[in-house]
Amino acid sequence: MKLNERSVAHYATCDSPADRAGFLRKRVERHHHHAHHHHGTSYQRRWFVLKGNLLFYFEERESREPVGLVVLEGCTVELCEATEEFAFAIRFDDAGARAYVLVADGQAAMEAWVKALSRASFDYMRLVVRELEKQLEEACKSLAACHKSPWRSSSSGRKRHLSNPSLLPLQEKPAILENGYSTWGSSGGVSEGAACPDNDGGHSKPPPLPPRRRSAAGSTTGSPAPGLSPAMPESPVSPETACFSKLHSWYGQEIAVVRREWQERQKRGHP
Amino acid sequence: AVLKKRLVKLVVNFLFYFRTDEAEPIGALLLEHCKITKEEENVFSISFIEEPERKYCFECASEEQCQEWIEALKRASYEFMRRSLIFYRNEIQKMTGKDPLEQFGISEEARFQLGTPKQ
Repeated sequence: MKLNERSVAHYATCDSPADRAGFLRKRVERHHHHAHHHHGTSYQRRWFVLKGNLLFYFEERESREPVGLVVLEGCTVELCEATEEFAFAIRFDDAGARAYVLVADGQAAMEAWVKALSRASFDYMRLVVRELEKQLEEACKSLAACHKSPWRSSSSGRKRHLSNPSLLPLQEKPAILENGYSTWGSSGGVSEGAACPDNDGGHSKPPPLPPRRRSAAGSTTGSPAPGLSPAMPESPVSPETACFSKLHSWYGQEIAVVRREWQERQKRGHP
Repeated sequence: AVLKKRLVKLVVNFLFYFRTDEAEPIGALLLEHCKITKEEENVFSISFIEEPERKYCFECASEEQCQEWIEALKRASYEFMRRSLIFYRNEIQKMTGKDPLEQFGISEEARFQLGTPKQ
């Protein structure tokens, strides 16, 4: 499976702030040909970087490319009874996906990692954002209800606060441009111009949040699929988590292949 | 460049694409630090900060569908959500004097602090 690995590596190593970073020992998962032979567990020390819902790991802290990536969706993070102290595991709802057993170097580090990883998912963020959106609406409504005459011009200043990130007038704040890039691109802004939603006690709709997981897909050709309807219920067993476990194994294999090729070139004396 | 028909799925901050008759994706794009651009009619492109000339182009069935995808993809990143969260938190704090993240027990987390926007 292809991935835009250069962009992924760039995101992993660029100086956008990581949510957490540190050394952890990762259990090596072996594929046993003889299932009943237990070859003993070993661990590899890796540098882990958590950014958003992505957990990258590097061979060394200074490595320029991650050797692995774990997408923290559809998973649970739990302490585990391994022979190692301070061990915890990332396990996926998708039964076919491998688990990751990680070992911290102390109680505090273990607790901090478990906490950070448990809250790293996109879904969790979305939940919090939706909740805050609701709270903001309610705060606005109760404020509006305090005014006898909602049409007074003095409320125009407050209008700005009612607007959502993508509709803010440019001079008020830097527009929160798409996907975290507020200085990139000549368009100067996502702000689809105008106005703040009107403050008439109602409140115009907030912008659509990132779409929920869905099982129906939107296609780029063919039927006019309503791929973006936000009302689809989320299934507890999501087919998408299978996609992520593919990503995990992909990444490991791809790096291994690239490395082997590089090593062979080195042997042959190529630059 | 040849256009190939693909089934495209936006799942959190990833765009997966499939050959239309298969269950497993043939590829994925991580949608962080990327830019979505309207190209010619029915077409949009995705490009990434470290390689802006390289565009992944998608042709839609209609202009309306094209706009829907652009809107969804622009908001698809984790980074976008983080900023929305910081924005709402700040607004609520200004209006009510209370930090809405306290109820979640996450008010101290570095990733939610209002500060200079990090690129």
